[in-house]
Amino acid sequence: MNSPTPFAAPPTPQTPDEQQFISLLRANPALHLEDMARRAQHLTRQHFGRAITLYAPLYLSNYCSGGCAYCGFAADRRQVRHKLEPQEIAEELAAMKAMGFEQVLLLTGERTPQADFDYLLASVRLAANVFHEITIEAFPMPVEEYRQLVDAGCTGITIYQETYDPKAYAKWHRWGPKRDFGARLNAPTRALEAGMRTVGLGALLGLADPLREALSLYRHVRELQARFWRAGVSVSFPRLRPEAGGFQPPFPISDQQLAQLIFTFRICLPETPLVLSTRESPTIRNGLAGIGINRMSVASRTSVGGYCHPVADTARQFDVSDDRDIPTFCEALRQRGLDPVFKNSDSSYRQDPAAQEKPCPNL
Amino acid sequence: MHIHVNGESYETKAVCIADLLRERHADSARVAVVLNDSVLPSATRANTRLTEGDRVELLTFAGGG
Amino acid sequence: MTEQTSPLMIGGHSFTSRLLLGTGKFADADTMVRAVQASGAQIVTVALRRFDRDRPHDNLLEPLLAMKHITLMPNTSGACTAAEAVRAAHIARELCGSSFIKVEIHPNPHHLMPDPIETFEAARILVRDGFIVMPYMPADPVLAKRLEEIGCASVMPLGSAIGSGQGLATADLLRLIIRDARIPVIVDAGLRSPSHAAAAMEMGCSAVLVNTAIAVAGDPPAMAEAFAQAIQAGYKACHAGIMATGEASATSPLTAFLEPTKQNP
Repeated sequence: MNSPTPFAAPPTPQTPDEQQFISLLRANPALHLEDMARRAQHLTRQHFGRAITLYAPLYLSNYCSGGCAYCGFAADRRQVRHKLEPQEIAEELAAMKAMGFEQVLLLTGERTPQADFDYLLASVRLAANVFHEITIEAFPMPVEEYRQLVDAGCTGITIYQETYDPKAYAKWHRWGPKRDFGARLNAPTRALEAGMRTVGLGALLGLADPLREALSLYRHVRELQARFWRAGVSVSFPRLRPEAGGFQPPFPISDQQLAQLIFTFRICLPETPLVLSTRESPTIRNGLAGIGINRMSVASRTSVGGYCHPVADTARQFDVSDDRDIPTFCEALRQRGLDPVFKNSDSSYRQDPAAQEKPCPNL
Repeated sequence: MHIHVNGESYETKAVCIADLLRERHADSARVAVVLNDSVLPSATRANTRLTEGDRVELLTFAGGG
Repeated sequence: MTEQTSPLMIGGHSFTSRLLLGTGKFADADTMVRAVQASGAQIVTVALRRFDRDRPHDNLLEPLLAMKHITLMPNTSGACTAAEAVRAAHIARELCGSSFIKVEIHPNPHHLMPDPIETFEAARILVRDGFIVMPYMPADPVLAKRLEEIGCASVMPLGSAIGSGQGLATADLLRLIIRDARIPVIVDAGLRSPSHAAAAMEMGCSAVLVNTAIAVAGDPPAMAEAFAQAIQAGYKACHAGIMATGEASATSPLTAFLEPTKQNP
């Protein structure tokens, strides 16, 4: 840890809800963390039952024009660039479906000639042949482009602000369109205006003061939930992990701080899905599943493709810390009294009446 | 002439709404007038002539939650 | 009575009192007026009735109008359809000049539950006609957002049935409404005692409307004052950060998986 008290200078809460949020974040963990965990577990069970929804990311391309100082795919990193062609995409998606997934997260970097909007749109169309729930994690777009994606079958976007601190944002995003703080900040709004059903928010933990980051993220969630009350907003907790370039996060978050952050979000946003990826270790994931966290990726490949044709040695965006396969992970969840599920039930009303609740295929 | 006031038959000597209000002792109270389903602005009471068969509602405030 | 709360903004108007008062069911007009004064309320509801020359004057309106700080909010009680409510609103505005209207449409005379569909339709038309629309509604979170979307100045979800005194029977739904609302939420109907009003304010609602509980109390002006104090207390408590409820359960520690770190003293 860089500083002994990372939650040092408290930002100013504007409402009673924000006061509660800050109090929980700043509570002495020695006295309160266990109690917060119990409350988080209780609320998670109340709103989500014991279900943990599982998904997997598909990196379509690691071409990127961006200059994010912390990312293995930044334009100045020397690595093999690869992009999936339509046939490969179809094969990867089929492989993921065969593994049991019913929803997919499609990722690309910042716009490049190799992986531009049309490429993403075509990929969504391919995914729509296979999945009812399709989320993209890509560059910010205007409303018209989001609308085209919606029409093609895209149901949500994930876009992390990375940091809500404009100064830190400017420092760590060295060049390119991603330097536009406001364009990124308003991307979820534009996506929802275009008819996306879900947005996933998050801050890349470690880039700036975590208390301020958390409060900004909380405000962002509340604002979107109030304004787009028909849509679903979820929150992820990506924590900066070591990667090949050796970026050292200036505000590293300990495991305990991560847990306290997640418990706080669960207590203050009881119905908001909270997401944890395979960036985190098996111990952390086992511990937090069902205690705040109700949605998790599994068996993730963070290099391009990788489900159908496993590619060794290709660079990853970040190191996967939990590389347990699906049956192993599902068993670990079940041992903790949780139900791994792959579905989203509302898809059965929308398109294909045959879409059913699917538990883990390893039965 | 024969008109309806507050749902009941009524014989009136009034020529205009303002006359009718005086007849019904409603002119000093705060009363709203609805003539044949149209809310009548108070400024027009003196000018609005009554016709045979008109339906008039005289309304005021009462206690309520 | 000085209010320590921040102003309540409704339809561009600013109010310092978060207690709205209904004027029905009082023994007489004089008691009602004294209760209004004791409550500090600035928004007072009235209903429409046919003017009857044979009934003695209640003299309801004059003393209320004489109180300069009072804003009249007529309700459309008696209307069973949107069309009737719209007509009542126009009549009311003609009668007192206030643009505030409480859309109240309850077709069933037994439980007096508000009709969501007629209420929505009436609200839509009255917003268009320039009213400051305050819909009385079932405690439905989706309906609340729909009404907000079409331009209502507030929503008024019921705590329980009018006059039933069942308190905040709809508490869980009220919390959802309050959480997501971007306009004032005014809990209306069914409150029996000042503690109900305090509880509603602690939940985070913007204001409370009370009628029966004050009108039929032994000493209505004293009860009105008690409600006003309770509302202030609830508002303050909400902003002071109420401690959380604990869930006691004897299980093994959930946080044992976290690495042991130096704890803050």
